[in-house]
Order: sequence, then structure tokens, then C-alpha cells
Amino acid sequence: MTTSTTTELVIQAESDIVAARRTVREAAVRLGFGITDVTRIVTAASELARNIFKYAGEGVMRWRYLEAGGRSGIEIQFVDHGPGIEDVNRALEEGYSTGGGLGMGLPGARRLMDELDIQSTVGQGTTVTLRKWRRS
Amino acid sequence: MDHMISVVKVRQVLMVTMPPDPDDTTVTALQEKVLGAMERYSAKGVVLDISAVETFDSFFARTVSETAQMVTLMGGRTVIAGMRPAVAVTATQIGLTLGNIETALTTERALDLAAAEPARRKVR
Repeated sequence: MTTSTTTELVIQAESDIVAARRTVREAAVRLGFGITDVTRIVTAASELARNIFKYAGEGVMRWRYLEAGGRSGIEIQFVDHGPGIEDVNRALEEGYSTGGGLGMGLPGARRLMDELDIQSTVGQGTTVTLRKWRRS
Repeated sequence: MDHMISVVKVRQVLMVTMPPDPDDTTVTALQEKVLGAMERYSAKGVVLDISAVETFDSFFARTVSETAQMVTLMGGRTVIAGMRPAVAVTATQIGLTLGNIETALTTERALDLAAAEPARRKVR
């Protein structure tokens, strides 16, 4: 798998959620995703950028292009050093929220993307990795 | 940033237009703006035009559905107009339901719906 250079965006203010959406939209369009996939990717990124702002206060979004087996895609990673997720499986359940939300952020993002991976340690932070491949 | 939401009274209905990519503060301001205008203009209902909106995530959906519930409590109807196809696909895929809010493809049809008296709908 070859990858492009990684680009970073710091998330520490509410307006950075909008910045994350714009960055991801631009990147997905440039990679040639269709409008529906672009909307899916941007919506998933919006949920995760908000999670960082809401639960961790600050963190980083990193993205890069992927190339593997003749297909191309995008990988977006959300890294924070916040409180971590106690029960990752429950956090992926629909309707489960510790923050008074709808509990649709993580499960929603998982449905919109091809791959979603969560690494989380309580007291140390959370890394969520999203991938979407272009349909050829 | 809440100036980005426009509220215009058309007939007896509030036409509320959302900007393409509102931040959370703007989305939150929607509620106050709509409820305030409902009272000020004694409006019959609200048409929420989201035809410019490119991303409809769970926070946005929750605010819209709560606002619609409040409008109902104030005796009005809420009709969402102009959801883009890609936005509709995404919202359905993540299971965002807007409760029993009515929707319309165009603002014109939405205006007709919102202006109709709920009590006078035929019940048979």
C-alpha cells in the first residue's frame, strides 16, 4: 500500500469542526469521489471532529490518500488525548451516548465509511481511523 | 454567525433558509430564531429550506427535530424543503429520522403544506 504525505488539522475550537468538513470535502473531491460518497465522508468526519471537541477538548485530524491493489481511497484519522472510551463496543451501539447526544455519531460514521477502527485507552485518549475506497 | 440564517415571513408562514455549511453555533441559533419569529409574527408554520445544506449530521438533525417539536407545541407546522439527494442518502444510511416532520421537494409545495390548518385536515 502506498500513501501520500499526511496532512494535519488541529481541532480545538467549535469552528474547527467546519474547517474539518471543508478540508475533508476538498480532499475527497480531489480524489474523484462522487457527490454521494463525498457527502458520506464529510458527514462521518463531522461527527468525529465534534466528538473530539466535545469529549476531549482538543485533538488532531490527519488525512492521506491510499493506493492499494489498483484502487485508491482516503484515510482520515482523529487523534485525541482525552478521557478515552470506557466501552468501545457500547460506543458503537446506536443510541448509546454519554454526552447527551443522539448516540449516532460513531455508529453513523461506521455505516458511512468502508472501515472504522477505534483504539482507546481510558485516561489516555482515543484514535479513530476511517477509510473509504473509491468504487471503480 | 446567526445572521447566516434568514427568516422571512411569506403569507402566514416563516421561510427559514439555512446556509450551506453552518457551524454549531449557527445551528443552535436556529431554535431561538424560529421560536422568536413564530411568536412575533403569529405564524402558522415554518418552512425550513435546507436546499443549500451540504452536510446534515446528527447534531443538525437533532436540533431540527427538537425545533419542530417546539413549533408543534406553539401550534405550528414544520415542513423541511429541498433536501439534496446526497444528503437524503446519507441521512437515511445513518438512520437519522426526523420524527414526523413533513418534507417537501420544493419550497413552494412546502409553503402550501405549512400554511394549511392542521385542525382542518380531513379525518375520515
